[in-house]
Amino acid sequence: MKSSDMTDRFTQPESVPRHEERFIASEELARLVMRTAGSHLQLARDDRPYQWSTTAYCDTYDWAVFRAAEAGQALRLRFREYHRTRPDEAFTSARLWLEFKEDTVDMSRKERFEIAGDVVPAFLRGETDLTDGASGLGQKAAELVHAGARPVVVTQYNRLAYAASEDQIRVTADHNLIYLAVPWTMNTDDAVPIRIGPILSRETDVVIEMKWFGELPAWAEELHGYLRQRAPADRPSKFVVAMRHLLGEAKKS
Amino acid sequence: MSGMQSDTNVVVVEDDPASADVLQRRLQANGMSVSVGRTGGDGLALIRELHPDLVLLDVGLPDTDGYDVCLQVKSDSATSDIPVIFLSARGDVFDKVRGLSCGASDYLTKPFHPAELLARVDAVLSQSRRVRGPRLAKPADSVRAGKPTAIVALGDASRKERAELILAPRFEIITAGAEGRAVDLLVVDADANVASQMGNEGPAVLRVAVAGAPASADTVALNDELARIADLAVRERELGRDVDAAADALIALAMAFESHDRSTAGHSERVANRAVAIAKGLGLDSATCQTIRVGALLRDIGNTKLPLGLVRSRSELTAAERKQIEQHPALGQELLAPFRPLSRLLPIVRSHHEHLDGSGYPDGLKAPQIPLEVRIVAVADRFEALRAARADRPAMSADAAVQILQQSVQKGELDAAVVAALATGVRAHDRGEATGS
Repeated sequence: MKSSDMTDRFTQPESVPRHEERFIASEELARLVMRTAGSHLQLARDDRPYQWSTTAYCDTYDWAVFRAAEAGQALRLRFREYHRTRPDEAFTSARLWLEFKEDTVDMSRKERFEIAGDVVPAFLRGETDLTDGASGLGQKAAELVHAGARPVVVTQYNRLAYAASEDQIRVTADHNLIYLAVPWTMNTDDAVPIRIGPILSRETDVVIEMKWFGELPAWAEELHGYLRQRAPADRPSKFVVAMRHLLGEAKKS
Repeated sequence: MSGMQSDTNVVVVEDDPASADVLQRRLQANGMSVSVGRTGGDGLALIRELHPDLVLLDVGLPDTDGYDVCLQVKSDSATSDIPVIFLSARGDVFDKVRGLSCGASDYLTKPFHPAELLARVDAVLSQSRRVRGPRLAKPADSVRAGKPTAIVALGDASRKERAELILAPRFEIITAGAEGRAVDLLVVDADANVASQMGNEGPAVLRVAVAGAPASADTVALNDELARIADLAVRERELGRDVDAAADALIALAMAFESHDRSTAGHSERVANRAVAIAKGLGLDSATCQTIRVGALLRDIGNTKLPLGLVRSRSELTAAERKQIEQHPALGQELLAPFRPLSRLLPIVRSHHEHLDGSGYPDGLKAPQIPLEVRIVAVADRFEALRAARADRPAMSADAAVQILQQSVQKGELDAAVVAALATGVRAHDRGEATGS
């Protein structure tokens, strides 16, 4: 697989810091927040309401990605696909999204590729060249793959998302969030699709995420303040929560 | 109500007593058995215990919401086939889509007309009821004499008659449910839902392609070749049983060796049971579970080739003795290798002490070289060893043993998903004990 086999490459701005905050909200509060967001923003194109998002996250055998994420900066390597009903297998889609997402203390960058589902093992064998992007994320991802990164946890949820043009502001609500393990053993072509499970944990409340570049408009500032007052913030990312459950470190959550 | 029968069991999960009562009466009046749970927790317990034909689920519940209950039902392989209908006063498209996306078959908005409820229940039940193969009598205790037996369960009468005619020279044709008769062959339609069976138990099953369609990898054509193929299928089944018998003999040998050592008596059986439970938790098929079970029972058979004093030694091992003990996986492989039909077990026997990071023995394999079946037996073996009392330490609780294994996962030795499946099983068992179920 070469990077030319991939389509729809999209890199988010890297020069502008992106803010990202997560909140755990009750169903009632989440409805209120999303109604407010919906009156100012457009329904997001990728995350149509109540599709199931299935995201498989990769890590190395020494858990380097997780340990870096716990420390606040990591390059996350993940595969995302969408289904109308909840699948019990991952990598079932003909086309899915390969994402490199890098978080540092004050910046977040993401590069996204649409790829064929059946080339995932080849990608994990390192038979690809993603190093030509300007962001340099492809090079870092290649290093992770070389270090043995493979899918280890999966999250599944129904996402409702509203966003401004070019994702200047994005507000998402994730319902029915489930964390699962995935017994990936070898990068052979017949490794996909793979059955996911067991279930590590479920989130009973709703995870709300606000992401934005630059200044927030007044309505969003007000919404953000309202959320901060009523919902626990500083929530770790879904990847970190899932990994804590997987490794028996969930008491930190 | 054509689809409803007196043996239809329904679980209603509804916190409002008046609504639950009305529903219960209405369904019972239509010949159904009804059990009511007032909370999500009660409902789930009833669903797991009764495995009903249908669940009617309210969205607003005191302890959780119906969506979560539905997700749990649909996430559990033991209950995921049970259809769920939501009953809710929430009529937004938002709520309906959410309910259906959780795996429900239908969503009915309150208040509803009783006739509509019954019509929807009937429709969902009709859809979920699958064609089932004929019930087979328990294999007869008596030894079969003469021709092997066959049941032909084809839906079309003329095709059934033709199949019976073709098979008659080589098989004794019997009817489903024949008392005390062992069945060697079952002939069914291509789309019949015949329960899968573990290992080589039960009859050989042949699926007949639909009229006019060519035979495929999974089906046979209804022509004169059927008798020859049926004969081969039955022989292959018998051969499989012989292999199972050989494995049973080896297992008996290994168990006899283990039973001489009181400190480990029964350990292999516990490891095998635990490994199969983990495999099921990971959704592996019954044939793989059987391989894992036999592999777990035979994994230490190489100990029989080591000096007895060394195997039973309770004192601290010297480096040389440890090296010798670490030969048992390779010795086990050597011992079993001549039994070619057992070749699928060899990776388990040889590699169950390997670690994903390459620090195990005897070959220092790394993760991509260690199959899932081997990883499962390795985790089950370590867990049951920690649960047993040793001369130098008492037995550990299940929770403590899981924590130790999770530390091994963090170090990169054991497979994370396999240990997670073990932990899930242990937690479910603890919950069952706590609720007395």
